[in-house]
This record gives sequence, structure tokens and C-alpha cells, in this order.
Amino acid sequence: MSDNMVKIIIDDVEYEVPAGMNVVDAAKWHASNDIPVFCYHPKMEPVGMCRMCLVEMGTLQRNPETGAVMTDEDGNPLVRWFPKLQTACTQVATDGMVFRTNTQAVVDARENVLEFLLTSHPLDCPICDKGGECPLQNLTMAHGPGESRMNFSDKMKLDKHVPLGDLIFLDEERCIQCGRCVRFQDELVGDDVLAFHERGRTLQIITNSDPGFDTYFSGNTTDICPVGALTTADFRFGARPWELTEVPSIDPHDAAGSNISLSVRLDRDFGGRAMIKRVMPRQNEYVNELWISDKARFGHHFTRSEDRLQKPVVDGKDSDWATAISTIAGLLEGADGDIAAIAGSGMSNEDLFALRSLVTANGGKRLGAWPTTHTGADLVAAVGVGVGTNLSDLGAGDAVLIVASDLEEEVPIWRLRLKGAHDRGAYVVVANARKTRMDDFASATPRYQAGKAAHWLDGIDKADPEVAKALKAAQNLVIVAGAEGLTLDGSRALMQSAANFLIDSGHYGKANNGLMSPLPGPNGMGLHYVGFTPEVTADIAQNPPKVLIVAQAEILSDDPYARAWLDKVETIISLNLFPDAVADMAAIALPIQSFAERDGTFTNGERRVQRFYTAQGPMGDALPAWQALSRISEHMGQGKAKASAAAVMVMMSNELPAFEGMRYRELSRTERQFPDISGDDMYYGGTAYQNKGGLGKVIPTTAEQGETPARADVSLPPVLEVGKGQFVVLPATRLYNLESTFRPSTLVHPRIMSPFVEVNAADAARLDINNGDVVEVKLPDVSVRVRASVNGGAPEGALVLPRHLTDDPTPMTVAVGEIAKV
Amino acid sequence: MTHIILREKDVPNIRELDVYLANEGFDGLKKAVSMKPSEVIDEMKRSNLRGRGGAGFPTGIKWSFIPQSEPVKYVVVNADESETGTFKDRQIMENNPYQMIEGALICAYAIQATAVYIYLRGEFWDIAHDLDERIEAARAQNLVGDDILGSGYSCEVYTHLGAGAYICGEESALLNSLEGLLGQPRVRPPFPAQKGGGLYKEPTVVNNVETLANAPYILRVGGEKFAELGTQQSTGTKVICVSGHVNKPGNYELEMGKHTFRDLIFEMAGGIPDGKGIKAILPSGGSGPIVPATDEVLDTKLTYEDCQSIDTILGSASVMILDETVDITWAASKMTKFFKHESCGKCTPCREGTFWLDKVIDRILRGEGKRSDVELINNVAANMQGTTLCALGDFAANPILATIRHFPEDFYAHVDGDDEKAPVKAAGD
Amino acid sequence: MNIIKGFATTFKHLREESITLQYPEQVRPFQERFKGRHHLRRYDNGLEKCIGCSLCSAACPADAIWVEAAENNDEQRFSPGERYAKTYEINMLRCIFCGYCEDACPTQAIELGHEHQMSFTDRRDSIFTKEMLIDAVPEGGQPTPQKVEAGAFDRAIPDMPDPK
Repeated sequence: MSDNMVKIIIDDVEYEVPAGMNVVDAAKWHASNDIPVFCYHPKMEPVGMCRMCLVEMGTLQRNPETGAVMTDEDGNPLVRWFPKLQTACTQVATDGMVFRTNTQAVVDARENVLEFLLTSHPLDCPICDKGGECPLQNLTMAHGPGESRMNFSDKMKLDKHVPLGDLIFLDEERCIQCGRCVRFQDELVGDDVLAFHERGRTLQIITNSDPGFDTYFSGNTTDICPVGALTTADFRFGARPWELTEVPSIDPHDAAGSNISLSVRLDRDFGGRAMIKRVMPRQNEYVNELWISDKARFGHHFTRSEDRLQKPVVDGKDSDWATAISTIAGLLEGADGDIAAIAGSGMSNEDLFALRSLVTANGGKRLGAWPTTHTGADLVAAVGVGVGTNLSDLGAGDAVLIVASDLEEEVPIWRLRLKGAHDRGAYVVVANARKTRMDDFASATPRYQAGKAAHWLDGIDKADPEVAKALKAAQNLVIVAGAEGLTLDGSRALMQSAANFLIDSGHYGKANNGLMSPLPGPNGMGLHYVGFTPEVTADIAQNPPKVLIVAQAEILSDDPYARAWLDKVETIISLNLFPDAVADMAAIALPIQSFAERDGTFTNGERRVQRFYTAQGPMGDALPAWQALSRISEHMGQGKAKASAAAVMVMMSNELPAFEGMRYRELSRTERQFPDISGDDMYYGGTAYQNKGGLGKVIPTTAEQGETPARADVSLPPVLEVGKGQFVVLPATRLYNLESTFRPSTLVHPRIMSPFVEVNAADAARLDINNGDVVEVKLPDVSVRVRASVNGGAPEGALVLPRHLTDDPTPMTVAVGEIAKV
Repeated sequence: MTHIILREKDVPNIRELDVYLANEGFDGLKKAVSMKPSEVIDEMKRSNLRGRGGAGFPTGIKWSFIPQSEPVKYVVVNADESETGTFKDRQIMENNPYQMIEGALICAYAIQATAVYIYLRGEFWDIAHDLDERIEAARAQNLVGDDILGSGYSCEVYTHLGAGAYICGEESALLNSLEGLLGQPRVRPPFPAQKGGGLYKEPTVVNNVETLANAPYILRVGGEKFAELGTQQSTGTKVICVSGHVNKPGNYELEMGKHTFRDLIFEMAGGIPDGKGIKAILPSGGSGPIVPATDEVLDTKLTYEDCQSIDTILGSASVMILDETVDITWAASKMTKFFKHESCGKCTPCREGTFWLDKVIDRILRGEGKRSDVELINNVAANMQGTTLCALGDFAANPILATIRHFPEDFYAHVDGDDEKAPVKAAGD
Repeated sequence: MNIIKGFATTFKHLREESITLQYPEQVRPFQERFKGRHHLRRYDNGLEKCIGCSLCSAACPADAIWVEAAENNDEQRFSPGERYAKTYEINMLRCIFCGYCEDACPTQAIELGHEHQMSFTDRRDSIFTKEMLIDAVPEGGQPTPQKVEAGAFDRAIPDMPDPK
């Protein structure tokens, strides 16, 4: 490692460890010595509260003149021991430190601390959700006293069912006041919604937000809770940990591609089949560390929703696969090559490849990506963040530019990790037309006029010279460019401006430098690499084909203007999880499997190809999309259907250069990661963190493959013409919304905002609109009734209209409209 | 003896600025600002003044820990006087407030601090109000604020009221409370004197009111002269707070090493009421170990080192006297309830230990205890000692350990000889 | 000679009383601790003792027990505490009647009784559900779920004179 190594002695053995490393971590990592802890967590600052990690500590005695270590007659080094035991968690390694973790004094101290903890902790392990994977249980078995001297009738009696919010419950009796949850929210998330209340034995966790525990990361506190004090509403009493099988998977909701673990068990509620009981984070220090958003954790119910499409539908009637396949084959043959496809980013790489093969084999050329909000994936492929990028490495001297994205709502894990970069001293710039949550963790927050993100970035040298200078001078620079408030052309212009900026300043083609984009869905980059682009979708809308295959793209739920051109398509073939409006229009609707029911890969926003595995029993007759599509191909004599997703990947890796060398075996490789959470669970304890499903593999950028990225001229989109009394309407993303993949998670429904539009206070005053008034937002051909929110979030002259909060679609891209009080 | 700290006994109305100025007031500060800051610290080192808050750490050495290179530094006056039986700081602030302010400014000058914060316990709101007025009066005379006494050195003095917690007398919890955080001790290192450990993460000196009130005298007469008072290890005078079963409770300022507990209790404080016998002495409030009032103890001199020799501490010198009628178990219970109520709850042994001790002592006092319960609390208290984050855990264990060591019969009187295990109930009941 | 020896033994036993019982007309008395079919017990007030902790299922060497738990409250109370068994099934074909479930139970909810006459003509009938296993509501008790006074039954594990 670094040249900053120091020698410390643990239990009479000398180890070389990096200077300044926390001693608990050093003992675990270098000496395989599990110093027991409750309050310490390697991702957070030590506080020395629980006193579980007490060890004997001393320093080597050195000759003051020569600096040589002094020894006794037997040649053993002389140690100056501290008179009292010290907490290992509050020590950092410096040269000549000596620790003893196995002496009687340490053994006694551990036993005493556990006895103290258990005097107030209830012994209701049989009904505790943590029982079986509980650090307190484990450490008591390992270090605790055999018998308690506490008289049971003296125990505290406290509330066992305190809802901290809609999603998390607190059992006050079980809490051991380690404060991990409070510190997680304060230090790592920045939403300080939890706090300690009272003092002494009455010290308790409370929430000080309204609504309670108002954060997108609350579920993580249940993972790091070393006892069963915090439980999720989702998993409460759902199963015992030893009954669960952990299936590695990938969060299907956003571009971060968080590694998750689906805990499954056979369940009567699901007909005795394997059912997802809970979602846990899975350690991948490159992607999501140990954290996942609440959407990833609580958004799994759609996979077994009763509303899922369960049988192929042919001409409006339930049918079977044989009929559906032969019908489709007939339709494709009769299309004379006028075939196109639009795919959503819920499709796995294998699905997309099978779709591409089917379309091209039948003479089709047009492969469109959905939604048509974000583009520029090709630029991410060219000058994206380099191989080996880890957002946790960004710190002092580095810079991050987030432009046209509300990262908290779009990709919460990126927001969490970039908040960390800001804390470590990185220069974080959040540029947007409006205030977003990420502003709280930014060094600079330039504002541009609504819809003019690309104009701003293209002219940043003039608009914000200071910011531009700082970004260019940074050691490492990551640009996260979204598409909020932009048209598709605007998005292209912004991405090109971002790419130009990176090329000009030389921040590309290496780790921790380059472009990222919060493309919607889990596989936005996969769409690009398999050849699906939003520009083609726009072309399909202009020139509708004879046969259109719509795969996991809920066009009509997303876009109020799509019906006009979809009506012109002669035949629609739909593949989807749910019978959406497109399926209703389609001649044939095929039920496909969700991410949980089959194997596959997604390519995340950092171009990491990651595997997910089969967890749940299939819904009805649904098939994996790749299988359904390749059976159609087989029926049409265009090659034999592959037997597995792995086989599709082999074929894909031979045909598509980006996937060269990708094999499932490669993707499922793991390595030892810091912090090491493997082993016998004595360290951080209790959860399914350990990554056994693979870290995935990053597709290198073309810049790294030796291609010099070319700067291209930015063609700035025309500025929106806003007439008198008109507003720029900015569509915004909300993390919790009513999209079909999230709607079935009813327990989060109380947290979904009722439909609203944000109005600037000055505009609202002019139009006599008050907070909470019902207003009508009129757009070309569309109008919606929502409540007005006058909270300063919208810039003057603009309305912020969040999407997917109603059943009626609102515009996907920036538009001009009017607002009136009802 | 003329008083150094309780000067109102010699000079009436010294609480008024004109009287204070007329009686060598602010001469110490004047002298200080004419010296280099490092010379002021050297003067304090020569005086060998030890902190009067309880720990007895040498003040000059504490000041010298402050890194001079840091631009922002603070002085915090610990006026959160909450130790049981201690009421000396209150008297100083009420009757001789300028001496404390002067002392704080001398300290501020010595470390080149940018501001002084006087952290008062919440109950001292009237004193805080009074101090605010006095600070303004001093400002009018150019003694506080910009360019103090024309020296070019500027320093602001602020008062701050706590919210009522014993633990905020602990310096790092005090700093947390002053910053608006939960009053819980911090992990050390970094220490308050270091960058990152003090108030708002800047190097900070935290000193007791009485300690700082000594500084003007030391500057005025010189450290060596001051060190002539008292013994070699305990220099100067000490304000002793006497309370409990004595005829004349109150504050007595004594030269260290010149008087014994016997002198203090039977001569100055007028002996025990109603001619009763003396049973025990708590030399440092509830937090120090109790000692039985034997002849050996009564003949012990009031110094840091002599108190150590009888296995107790002088601490903040809040001497509480218990007469022969007192049931020591009851006294131990009272002290335990105090520490249970005041434990901040941050670290395990103190939070759970005080709660558990209280439960068992209650049981003993109710007459439901067993002989083994006495050993149990002794052992539980021993387990608390040395394992906690701050000293409160040790303090909370002291009343139990020392009372059982010296007065086991008082405990066993409450339990019958029968030593069957108490009936055990199942968990979760 | 040997033949006489042999018959001597035969005749000796002929005179002894028969130990064969005419089962099922005659039933042999059971030992108190005989382990037969399981019973799920109730408290006197009718609440179920089972708290759905699955420890019996974990202890079962034959994997015969299936428990699914759910949450309970004062409006709809099945058992004391927060957790109760929503599904409780024992596959009697798998069960080896070892009694480990009884040992594992923290509330003494499952007990092995004396019934042993269990025969089925369909393998599916070997799965005994909670309705089949649970005792009848005792006299004076209420059937579950009960609506109970708030806070009266908020601890899952009851007082027991000797938890060992």
C-alpha cells in the first residue's frame, strides 16, 4: 500500500498497517482480529459510546537518544501501558502502538459491558426480527456472561411499537443507545431527522421531522442497528433470518444499479413459492457501498403484484404462447421489413439483444429507446467516467458538476455519495434552473434560465468564470448531466457541452474523471450499447412503422402526446410486466418476467455491467423477454432459441464490441472489500451485506480504448417562446411516484406526494394563488388539476410540474403553458 | 489572613467596579498586557496554581498547551457549578465578579484568545443577568472589548446559560452544550486545547471560576510569592464549601496545608449540632469517596496530596459532614439517585450501571435485599470504574465503593442473613 | 434330548399370561411423557400461547414444521406481544416425534400429547394446520382474535416461575 505504513503490535504479533487507520478496522483487516463493537461503524466517525471495544493499550518504550525500542533481559520490547483500558475504536494507528485484546482484563471488560447492556435489553429474541442475525446476540454468545445478576422484575418497560415514520418502527426497550442511526442520518445522509431525547437511562431516539423520519435512506438505519430496535414496516415479523435465502440482485429503479440482496423464502402468501420478503443492500464499494435508497428497499412489491400480466393476450383475449408466437411470426413476415422497436430501460441487456436480433433479422432497422427525455449515452460511452472510478475517492482537490438534474429524486445513491465527496472537500457545483436538495451539499449553485442548461454550460466561461476555472483546475472532475427542463435536442446539446468541457480540460479517459448521466431506469446505458437510441424513437413517432414492438416502455403512461402517433402504427406488439395502455392498444401483449424472476444483467450509469439472479417464482405464464423474443426468432427459422441468459450473453459478447469478454463467470467475481463485512458477523453484524453475487465489470470508455474523443459543435436548441401570461413548465422527477413498478408498494403510498405544481412566490402573488390552492395547468392539448405549492422551489416565470403523481400523464419534456386558479 | 478570593470579607462592596478598581482591581490585567503572552503563562507556571474545579490540573501547564499558531482560540469559564455541596463559584460571581472577569481576560491574553465565554448553569440566570451588566460596565472603562487598556489586544466576554445538567460541568460536554449540541462528553483526543477538540473545533482553555479568580492576584504579586502560600504541591488558598451537619455551614477560604479537617469542622464551622458525634466526611461532594471521621482523617491537612493519602480527593473541596445518626446506605442511595438522574446516557456502563445500582439499593432500603445484593452493588460499581468515557462513571461508582468499604455494617443492617437468591422472573414480563 | 429341552421351554411359556393386547379394542396405558400428536396450547383467557417465533421449526430435525408470523395488536389479538403465528403447519409424515419443538418453545405453546392414531389415505391430509392443532378455547376464555384492553398483553413471553 502507501509508503505511510506504521508498525503496530496486536496480541504480540507485529503488523504493518497504514498510518491513521482506525484500530478496530486495522485489527479486522490486517490481523483478522474481531474487536467487538456496537457503536462503531467504519463509515462513520467513532464516538466511543458503547465501550465494547475496550482493549489494553500501550506504546513501545524507546531510548530517547537512539530511538531504538528498549527491551528487557529476554529481548521482549518494553511497553508503557496505559493505566486504564482504552476504546480501540477511538484510536488511530501510529507507530509503536501495542494492543492486547485477549487478556483477562479485556475479557472481563467485555463481559461487564454486555452485562450492563442486557440489564435493560429485553430478552424477547424469539419474536425479534433481528434474532438470528443480531450483533448483540452474537457478541453475548461470544463474550457475554453466562448468567445475569439483574433481577428481571427491575427491567425497564418502554414502548415497543413507536412508528418513527411510515416505514420504520422503533422498539424503545431494545435500543442500546449506540446512536448509529442518528449518526448515519447526520453524517452520511445529511438529513438530520433523528436525534437523542432526554438523558441517562431515559435517553431515546426520536424523529424531529414532519412527516416522521423524512429521508430517502431510512431503511439503512435498520441494517446498521446492532439490535432489533429499528425494524422496517415491510419486513416486520416477515420471517426469521435463518429461513431466508439471499439472492444477489440489482436495484431496478435507477441508474445507480445499487447492488441488492433479495431475501426470499417460500411463502403461503405467494402460493408456497419463493417470495421476496425483504431487500437488503449488498456491498459494492464502487457502486453503492453499504447503502440503498428506500425506493430500492421498499419498491419490490411490483414483482408479485396481482395486476401483473400473466398470460399472452392475442386480440384482446387470453391466449397461450404457441398461439401468440405464431401470430407474431405471421405479423412480422407480413410487414415487409417495416418493423421497429421501442424498448424501455427495464429490459436487461440480454432482452435488448434478443429484441435487436429479432427486428434486424426481419428487415427492421429502427431501434428506439424510451423515454425520450435523456440522450447522450453515446457521449457517456466515449468520455464517461473511467474504469476504476469510485465516487468515494473524490475529495479535496476534486470537483463535481451536477447540471440539470435533481439528483436526490433521480438517483438518490449518487446524491448520498456525492454529498460525501463534498464533505471530504470536493468542489461540488449544482447548476439548475431551480433549487434542488443537492444545493445543500454544494460549494456553488449557479442558476440558469429555465430550459437553458446547455446555453449555460456552453457559455460557462462567460456566465460563471469562477466556477469554470475551479472545475477546470480540479485534479479530478466528474460531470453528472441530466435533462431536467430540456427537450431531447436540449439534452443532446447539454451532453455535448459537457463532453466538450471534459475534453477541453482533459478530464476524461481515466478513473474518477468523466461524464455520467442519470438516465431513467436501471439499464439506460444498456439501451445505448445494444443500439437503442431516443433519437430513433423520435423518428418512429414522425414516421410510424407497420409493426412496432414496444418492450417495457409505458409510452402512454409517460407521454400525453404519444397516442396521436401510436394510433398511426398498424400493429403494436407489446411486452410488459403490466397490462398498460399500450398493451390495450396492442394486437398482442406478451407477459414478461421482472428482474426478480430470472437471470440477467443491467448496465448502470457508470457503465458497470452487473448480474442479477433468479429470486422469485414466475408470475403466471410470464417468460423472460429474451426467451419470448428468441422463441419468436426460432419459430421464424432465425436461429435456435438460447437456453439461458448466460448463453445470450455469450452470443452478445461475440457480436457487440462493448460486451466483448463479458461472461457471467467474470461478472460474478468478487474481491475483498474494505470495510470487510464478511466472516462470522461479529464486526458490523447481522445483515446480508456480503457480496457473493459479483462486483460486475465496467465497459471501458472509447477514450480508454485509444480513441481520441472529438469535440463537436453544440447546436443549441431554440429558446422557448414564452408569451405574456405564459410559463415555462418544467417536468420534474419524484422518487416516490405512481409508476407501475412502484405503485404496488402500497406501504410507501403515504409518502407519495399528492399531485402538485410548484409556483414561484412572486408569480403566485400576481395570480392570487395561495399555497394549497387547486390550480389548473394548461398545456397544449393537455391540462391537469393539481394543488399549488408556493415554497420558493420554482424560479420566477416557471412552473415545476412533477411527473407520475397522477394517473394522467403530464408532459415529459419542457413546454410552455398557463396556470389559473380553479 | 487576608482573602485572595473571597475579598468581599475584607473589602465590602467589592462587587462594584469603582470599589474593585480602587482596591488593586484590574492591576493584574494591566500587568499582564504589559508582558508578552508567554511570560504570563510562565508566571502562572511559577505559581503552581492547580485547577480548582476538581481535577487539580496545573493551570499554567494547561494554558501552555494552546498552539499559538492557531488564529482563533477561546477561553471558556466553567461556571456550571453543579457538584453536590459546592457553592463557592456562586459566591465569587455574586460578590467578587470582576476578579473572575479579570482572571478570564488574563487567561485570554495569555493564550491570545478571541473571546471568553462564561458558561453558567441554568439556575444562575440572575447571576448571568448581573454579569452582563458588569461586563458592560467594564467595557465602558475599556476593560473588555476592543483594544483593552490601550494594549491593542481585543477580547469579547459573553455569558451563556446551560439547560440544567450536571454533566455539562465536564469540560467537553460543556463545550457541546455551548455549541448547541446535546450535552454529552466528547471523545478525547483531541483535547479541548488542541485544534479540533475545543469550542467550535478551535483550541480552548476551560477553567473553573475560582481558578481564574486566582490569576489577578498571581499577576499582581508574582507567581513565586503566590507559591509561598500553601504546600509545595498545593499552593495558594482554597475556598472550602462546608455543608451538612455543622453549626456554621458556608464558604471558608483557607491557606492550603495550614488546617486540618478537625480545624475546619470544629473550629471554623462550629462543630456538629446538638452535640452529636461525627460519622463521616464527604470531602468532595457526592463524587469523591466518603471517609469515616476517624482521628486519622480529622487530623489530615486540607491539601490535594494529603487527601489522596487517606484514599479520597479534595476535588472542588465541597466538604459535607454526616453526623452519627445518618444511615450511610440512605446517603449512598441519595447520591446514586443523583448520578442516575444526571448520567447523560452516552456510554453503557454509566447509563446502565447507575440505573441498576439504584434499583438494588432501593431494594436493600426496602428491606427486601439479600446479603448478596451488597456484594452485587459493590461489584457493579467496580465494573463501572475506569470503563466510561468521562469521569462521571467513576464518580457514580465512588459513593457505593467507598460507603461499602468503610461502612459495610450499615448495609448489612438492612438485609437479613438469609442469602437465598432472590426469586427470578422470566424475561419480558 | 434337545427336543425335550425345546418343548419344555414352549410349555413353560404356554402357562404364562398373554401379553398381546387386542388393539384397538384394548389400549395400553401410556407413560406420562409419551410423545404423540402435537397440541398448540392456549392461555386461560383464550389467547394463543404460540407467538410465531419459528424456533420449533428451526429445532425440528425433520423439517416438519412450517410457521409464518404476522403482527398482532390490541384490536385483533391472537397472542400476547406483537407477533403471532398466522400459519402453523406440521407435516405428520415427516415428524419423528422427538419433542425438540417442545423443548425449543419459549412459551410452552407446543406440547406433544398422547394421541398416536393418525392415518391418512391422502398424503396431503398429513399436513395438520393450525386449526387442527390448536386447543379448544377453555371455559371462560374468548376465541381469537380478541379485542383486548390496550397495553394489557404487550409482552410476548410470560412470567414463568422457573424459566430454566
